[in-house]
Amino acid sequence: MTANVVNILMSGVFHAAILFLVSAGLQLVFGVQKIFNLACGSFYALGAYVGVSAVSAFVSAGGAPVLFILPLAVAGLAVGAVGLVVERGLLRFVYDRDETFQLLLTFALVLMMEDAIRLTWGTAPQSTSGYYLLYGQARVLGAVVPVYNLIVIAASVLIAAGLGLMLTRTAFGRIIRAAADNREMAEALGVDMRGIYARVFTLGTALGTLGGALVIPATAAMSEMGIELIVEAFAVVVIGGLGSMRGALVGALVVGVLRAVAISVYPEIEMLLIYLIVIAVLLLRPRGLFGGAAA
Amino acid sequence: MILEARDLRKLYGDFCALDGVSLAVGAGEFVSIIGPNGAGKSTLINLLTGVLRPTAGTVRFNDRDVAGIGPVALTRLGLARSFQLVQIFPDLTVLETLQAPVVSRLGRGTRFFRSLAADREVQADALEVAELFGLADKRHVPARQLAQGDKKLLDVASAFALRPEIILLDEPTSGVSTAEKSAIMEILVTASRRMGLKAIIQVEHDMDIVFGYSDRIVALHQGKVLADATPSTIRADARVVDMVIGRTHHLPSPPQGEGRVRGSP
Amino acid sequence: MSGRLILGLALAGLLVLPFVLSPYRLILMLPFMAYGVILLGLNLLFAYAGLVSFGHALFVGVGAYTGAFLGAHAGIRSIEVVVLVAAILGAVVAALVGLLCVRYVKIYFGMLTLAFGMVFYTFVLKFYRITGGDEGMPVPRPLLLGLDLDAMPKTDYLIGPYYYYCLGVLVVAAAVMWRIVHSPFGLCLRTIRDNPTKAEALGVSVTRYRWYAFVISGVFGAVGGALLGPPIGNVDPTLVYWTHSGSLVFMALLGGFAHFFGPVLGAFVFIFLQDAVMSVVPYWRLVFGAILAAIVIFAPGGLMGLFARRRAPVEVARP
Repeated sequence: MTANVVNILMSGVFHAAILFLVSAGLQLVFGVQKIFNLACGSFYALGAYVGVSAVSAFVSAGGAPVLFILPLAVAGLAVGAVGLVVERGLLRFVYDRDETFQLLLTFALVLMMEDAIRLTWGTAPQSTSGYYLLYGQARVLGAVVPVYNLIVIAASVLIAAGLGLMLTRTAFGRIIRAAADNREMAEALGVDMRGIYARVFTLGTALGTLGGALVIPATAAMSEMGIELIVEAFAVVVIGGLGSMRGALVGALVVGVLRAVAISVYPEIEMLLIYLIVIAVLLLRPRGLFGGAAA
Repeated sequence: MILEARDLRKLYGDFCALDGVSLAVGAGEFVSIIGPNGAGKSTLINLLTGVLRPTAGTVRFNDRDVAGIGPVALTRLGLARSFQLVQIFPDLTVLETLQAPVVSRLGRGTRFFRSLAADREVQADALEVAELFGLADKRHVPARQLAQGDKKLLDVASAFALRPEIILLDEPTSGVSTAEKSAIMEILVTASRRMGLKAIIQVEHDMDIVFGYSDRIVALHQGKVLADATPSTIRADARVVDMVIGRTHHLPSPPQGEGRVRGSP
Repeated sequence: MSGRLILGLALAGLLVLPFVLSPYRLILMLPFMAYGVILLGLNLLFAYAGLVSFGHALFVGVGAYTGAFLGAHAGIRSIEVVVLVAAILGAVVAALVGLLCVRYVKIYFGMLTLAFGMVFYTFVLKFYRITGGDEGMPVPRPLLLGLDLDAMPKTDYLIGPYYYYCLGVLVVAAAVMWRIVHSPFGLCLRTIRDNPTKAEALGVSVTRYRWYAFVISGVFGAVGGALLGPPIGNVDPTLVYWTHSGSLVFMALLGGFAHFFGPVLGAFVFIFLQDAVMSVVPYWRLVFGAILAAIVIFAPGGLMGLFARRRAPVEVARP
């Protein structure tokens, strides 16, 4: 019984760890640039595919399979550079437009990236079979949990802590928070918003692509995974509150664990339960659990 | 009394914006509210127009409690307002802007399938207001293309088109050139007489306008009523002159006769 | 005047099209006309109330599944009954959903509508015993005006009677929506879009009028969805997925939401362009994503905006 509960919880927390990375990217971009990036799920999918390719390339080049997590993480982070291209090439043209147009531009990205992935990797699911359990399994309170899951959870916690430190302790973090609070003020104080936006969007993208890469050993990369994840990430940020990092953390845990519980108890209501919670949160606390005073 | 506020108190957290303010406006009166920035004028307006709910005290309009009932309900009862910062509908023409309040007053907003263009009553009423405010020849111009003075006039005119009993004007001449100010005031007073308004309340910084048009002046200072009297009494009140108006200001003569709104000619 | 002329020519063209166009293209006209009805409704929210719904596919789904349900469970195939029931269900669902959504604007409205759309999606996907799950449900061939046309070959039925039936519904829907946007109600909606604070001060209840618009829009969505079912032949959950809602907004923007017929034109171009692109490469999303990006960046007024600009500089209304 306990083992069963722990199993469900651990799989939920693993999913939450991945979800947090993508949502954190979404939050960062929304907080600073006020753009709700529908394409964050597409970046996640891109990271997953690139991760698969990187691991296969690494192993076929003679790399020790045990070290597969290195090329995975590096590739996941590196492909975040796509964010810079997207920001400089597309988004910067619409900063002064109505947010409807910004939203639609990110929707255009969703469409383009879904097909770009199909064009590059084909339509068949891609996976790195056999690496998931390479690090063995651990016994946690009677439940058997893949060590890889624990590594990803730990990595996600470290990244969350790192983001927290960056936002509160570094000069860049202070500038980001100032820009998020009041763009005009920050500009008047001589902050180069162009540079900030480029860096923030790239960082947000890298979080998403890393999340996609890290999920890969546990599941196969599929072209629809992006548009499916965005609705979960969306649930996370609504529950947590748009633009809040702490909200992303709590929201990811709520969504990840509830989803795992629902799947094992009553699979029919899996996402239904999540959406009902989303709607309840929007009605009771429109700004989310940790939402700021004004968006 | 048409509008009567008693012992209004409004707290924002620990900050007390209004502290025991009472105000009564009767038929035929033109009342100006003056005071330095932070005196509580905006808060008072927002309480009188039902946007905010007072922490304590009552607002009664025609003997009905209207505290915090919201702008839509208040317009139904016959109280309209205009805003300090010009509020227009950028993509609507002058005539359309004036039709909206007429539609709202006649309760025809839910005529989903009737032609607006064929509604003679709405058309005629809106045109009449446009003429009263000298906007008739610009009636097909989108509001965003109007000159600043005309935008202000349109903002006020649309509130008048509700044909309210009483109107609250938040700085009706702010952001407008000195030359245009008195023109706007003349149009406004004439229109109120023609349209049968019972009273006007305005918040105003321009002392020429305040003393030139008011029957009564309410001076606010730090959330309290410093004085509530006729222009000539206010002029003689050294405290008000010191704290609110300023010594250097040359005060114009009070208006001739009583009751600018529905005064005897 | 020239507007009326173009409209008259377009209508005449639509009437003679079955005698000119190949059956393949005529079949494509059916979803176009269904989407035309849906977009007329969507644009009431988008252009006249300034609200962008990212869950409008919910109503399309309500309409399409109504046809499948009535056919499968009640043996009702009369299109009039299907459209009527779809309209009523669309109104009821929109009334309930709208009650909660219209309190919010901009991104929050978009998110809330998306969430409700996905609730319905998950429902039809997971409760497969009722809805057929991801396989969907077949939509029977409807009776038109009570006439049983089962003897006709399927294609002849679709490009003949069903084509004219859909055209009739589209024309009626456009006429009704034309009345609505030119009514006192339409004026009130535009005041809310332009300046909600001022609208309230003039006695226009912002949330109430937004709710009316939401309900009307939902009815149009459901009616369009009911028409969309038969030519597809099978309704499945992808019809309700959030990306489908996104495509609807795309169509509105493509044609130009600031013009009454812009979104209908957008639906037309979307469907035929999609078909043309797919006949060359399967990656229509890549091409359409690029088109959408180009429209957003260079031509926010859409196709109608481009035509209008050539004639006279007209400023595009903000959504």
